[in-house]
Amino acid sequence: MTVLETRGLHLAYDRREIVRDLSLRLPEGRVTIIVGANGSGKSTLLRGLSRLLPPRAGTVLLDGTDIHRLRGKELARRLGLLPQTPIAPDGVTVRELVSRGRFPHQGLFQQWRPEDDSAVASALAATGTEDLSHRLLEELSGGQRQRVWIAMALAQQTEVLLLDEPTTYLDVTHQLEVLDVVRDLNRQRGTTVAIVLHDLHLAARYADHLIAVRDGEIFAQGTPDEVITVETVREVFSLEARIETDPVTATPMVLPVGRDRRTPDPERISAPERTTGTERTEHTPDIDPADEREHHDQRDEHDPQEGPMNTAVTTQDQFVTTQDHLVPALDHSAMLAFDLRVVARRELGPSLVRMTFAGADLEHFGTNSHPLDLRIKLIIPGPAATADHFATVRPDAMLDPEIHADWYRRWLQIDVEDRGWMRTYTVRDQRAACHPGNLSDLPEIDIDFVLHLEPEEIPGSGVAARWARDAKVGDTISMLGPNRHLVGPDYGGIEFRPGTARTVLLVGDETAVPAIGSILEALPASISGHALLEVPDGADQQRIPTHSGVQVTWLARGDRPHGELLDAAVRELMSENAQAFRDTGDEVAHAGPAGSHTGAADGAAGGAADEAAGPEELEDVDIDATILWETTTGHGSFYAWLAGEAGVIKTLRRHLVSELGLDRKQVSFMGYWRHGRPEN
Amino acid sequence: MTPVNAPTTAPPAGRAGLPSEPAASSTAVRRRRRTRGAVIAAVTVLLLVALMTVRVLVGTPMVYADHALRAILGEQLPGISYIVVESRLPAAIIAVLAGIAFGLSGTTFQTLLRNPLASPDVMGVSLGASAGAVIAMAYFGAQGTTLFWCTLLGGTGVAALVLLVAGAARTGTGGAVDNRFVLVGIGVAAALQALISYLMTRVNSQTAGDIMHWLIGSLSTSTWDRVRILALALLVLVPILAALLTRLRILQLGDDTATSLGLPVPRTRIALVLVAVALTSLTVAVTGPLAFVAFLSGPLARIIAGRPSVSLAAGIGALIVLAADVIGQNAFGDVDLPAGVITGVLGAPFLLWLLTRGPSPGEGK
Repeated sequence: MTVLETRGLHLAYDRREIVRDLSLRLPEGRVTIIVGANGSGKSTLLRGLSRLLPPRAGTVLLDGTDIHRLRGKELARRLGLLPQTPIAPDGVTVRELVSRGRFPHQGLFQQWRPEDDSAVASALAATGTEDLSHRLLEELSGGQRQRVWIAMALAQQTEVLLLDEPTTYLDVTHQLEVLDVVRDLNRQRGTTVAIVLHDLHLAARYADHLIAVRDGEIFAQGTPDEVITVETVREVFSLEARIETDPVTATPMVLPVGRDRRTPDPERISAPERTTGTERTEHTPDIDPADEREHHDQRDEHDPQEGPMNTAVTTQDQFVTTQDHLVPALDHSAMLAFDLRVVARRELGPSLVRMTFAGADLEHFGTNSHPLDLRIKLIIPGPAATADHFATVRPDAMLDPEIHADWYRRWLQIDVEDRGWMRTYTVRDQRAACHPGNLSDLPEIDIDFVLHLEPEEIPGSGVAARWARDAKVGDTISMLGPNRHLVGPDYGGIEFRPGTARTVLLVGDETAVPAIGSILEALPASISGHALLEVPDGADQQRIPTHSGVQVTWLARGDRPHGELLDAAVRELMSENAQAFRDTGDEVAHAGPAGSHTGAADGAAGGAADEAAGPEELEDVDIDATILWETTTGHGSFYAWLAGEAGVIKTLRRHLVSELGLDRKQVSFMGYWRHGRPEN
Repeated sequence: MTPVNAPTTAPPAGRAGLPSEPAASSTAVRRRRRTRGAVIAAVTVLLLVALMTVRVLVGTPMVYADHALRAILGEQLPGISYIVVESRLPAAIIAVLAGIAFGLSGTTFQTLLRNPLASPDVMGVSLGASAGAVIAMAYFGAQGTTLFWCTLLGGTGVAALVLLVAGAARTGTGGAVDNRFVLVGIGVAAALQALISYLMTRVNSQTAGDIMHWLIGSLSTSTWDRVRILALALLVLVPILAALLTRLRILQLGDDTATSLGLPVPRTRIALVLVAVALTSLTVAVTGPLAFVAFLSGPLARIIAGRPSVSLAAGIGALIVLAADVIGQNAFGDVDLPAGVITGVLGAPFLLWLLTRGPSPGEGK
């Protein structure tokens, strides 16, 4: 076993000292990962550990010998380093490049020996690049290329391997792929590995030994469990974060809160993601239901007379609330309640109506990006509303973070006649104030409503459709949506993730028309494929502008059963174009195992849903008890996205996955609602 | 329902999604690549032989092939022996040797500095050698061996200056250093141009005319002595360069990677620069700075072979010089244009094209 250690190491560029008096020892035969903020000196440290940067003072010892006393090739036979950005020569094949890793093993006249051949072959095999060996490097994808570079370092057959940010510029799938290769190498050959990485989450997953560097000094080292603490993350990365257990690997997982923001209750973070139960119909996964503090508390404070009406939710909490705890909702809650007024209503067809809403609050609404499918909740008012149940998450309100977290459970406990109903919608357009298309001076949004009216009016059923039918200009409504100041482009409401796919199949009934319309409008020109939309009436067709090459087909249901046309159209399309859709490619097969990590690593609802509702039992789920909901990030060239009535969607999904044998990762499906089953 | 047929044109996934080729077609790719290499090598050699034949036979007077052969084999044919053996044959051989030297030198510089602009003629090394020669000719009336040493001194001096100023001998962050090398080289070249112009004004017009003719680059003064000197230089330098090529390939991966593969980067870089400078300087002493030959050979070889090839660059260099000489001798009636004029005329548009084309994976920018 080879030991690489430093004693009192000082490293500097010119006069600027980067690493100060550092002594460390890489555990033999282990994967050590060095983390630290930008400029903390972690890459400098790695350069110092190899011979790229001569130390200002101190020594680097390889098995007790100063590495600067070893001859270049002798050191290179024992210690390898892959720099962050190796330069790819022009016109070199993979095999030629990997062969260059044999340079330190060759004499002055470069005779090629059989052991060189076998070293190259095993390096190619270990990184899964044998099939690429005669391809030119410039023809490869970033992930493949990185694996080839690692293969070159492997061909060097060193006892110690140092890697400087090997995952930079790679997407998450390829990051995992590269780190898996490195870990396998460590496990199989016993190579001592040190990696500089800036992704804390991956570092915690792959490290046996973790070193956190701050200002050129070791701040903490040990197992990931020991090192990844709230304290370390704050000191090393100046980041406020929660530490949770990674549900996949049981390693620590860092959930950034951002500076000066308080963390909501942990229940909130994990629960909706893992839920596949009936709560889904309440649409919790879409919005971070950030705010718990019930309005009742405030009302109790300000108007105690009304208190007794809310017996169901009266708890001790309300009475311990004091002004001291209060923080501005704007700085604290990822979800805000917005006050909207209808400024226009336009029938898009017999079953679809587009409502334009304006509101001054909307200035705080958004995700700082243009998501494919931005979802919000509308609160359809109940007939006996007593108060604003979302008063504490209005943009100008103050809230108490202590009881902020389980607002949703509390809200559910309020009498439905009072609280009203929560329904999910897709925002079709969002315009800032003064946009030329605006009808008012305020920011505006457009939302499409499906007029799925039921023949008989049953209280509690079809409420949103009835509200939309009756809504007129001037009506007001409350909306729950993302707080622009706290929510980024990774907002959890977006369930459409085609990944690498270039051909998509979008299928939905009228309830999915707004979502699919929004997706189509945002899709880039590089994507083609088909959208199949079943609507109640031919007049419900709309013109959906899209840059993409997706062909939209409208199916008018008429008197036929719901979903019959859709099912037939999907089957016809898939049989006509079986080849195109079934082109899964190597990429898919390859990404298979890593893919399941991906979802979870994203921390997105999709991944967690995969976990909870495994692939097999999904075929047999009772969709009345369990909502049908599985979204994946696409791999390979084809991605199908199905949404609408749960029964129809289940049948279609079974056709695609079980009968046609598509990769499960290529099909996302969402049962929005269930025929004949009223929602709460 | 509208007819549905579009997705059969499943778009080819981008590079990222490209499925890896099955092994069978992979070896096919390899075989095709090898066959292509062999064909290109054969065609290059054939062209070289053909052009040399043309160079020896065509001109005023035209010489029959059998006469030429007999003359070369030692038979004395009045009026023909001299032209073939003492004039045209050494010119053809020098053209080939000079082309090889320029091609190797140029492609070495370009690869070393990862920049297609970084050829010795663009960067002032050729001009340094020329300045050395001009000083030797103008002030010391130098001839023969002295001239060689002066060009070598001039070329090496400029290379050393550029290395020093640009700090390229120091291990450092790849790209910036290399661009600096080119820019410093261009600056030095401009200064040398001024120096040469100044020197030209200080000598009598007879000498100035001679110098001018030499500066353009010409093969018309080729003699067997010069062939011998150039051949000797190549015999020493080409094997050294060949031995350094593996190291050059390691150096191509960037200074950091090369260092971690155990290559002494500064020493290797200096060795490569010295060999390339020597190749250019010694050739300049014989033929004058044939503009753009060193600059053109590498990129042309890359375009033809589809990937960089040092040996093909040497071949292309030889072809360019030979062709330029043949064209200069024969294409313009009574006027014999020096080969340097032709290469300059060919090279300038190529330089402009290369500059305006923008970066491509082809040139290893």
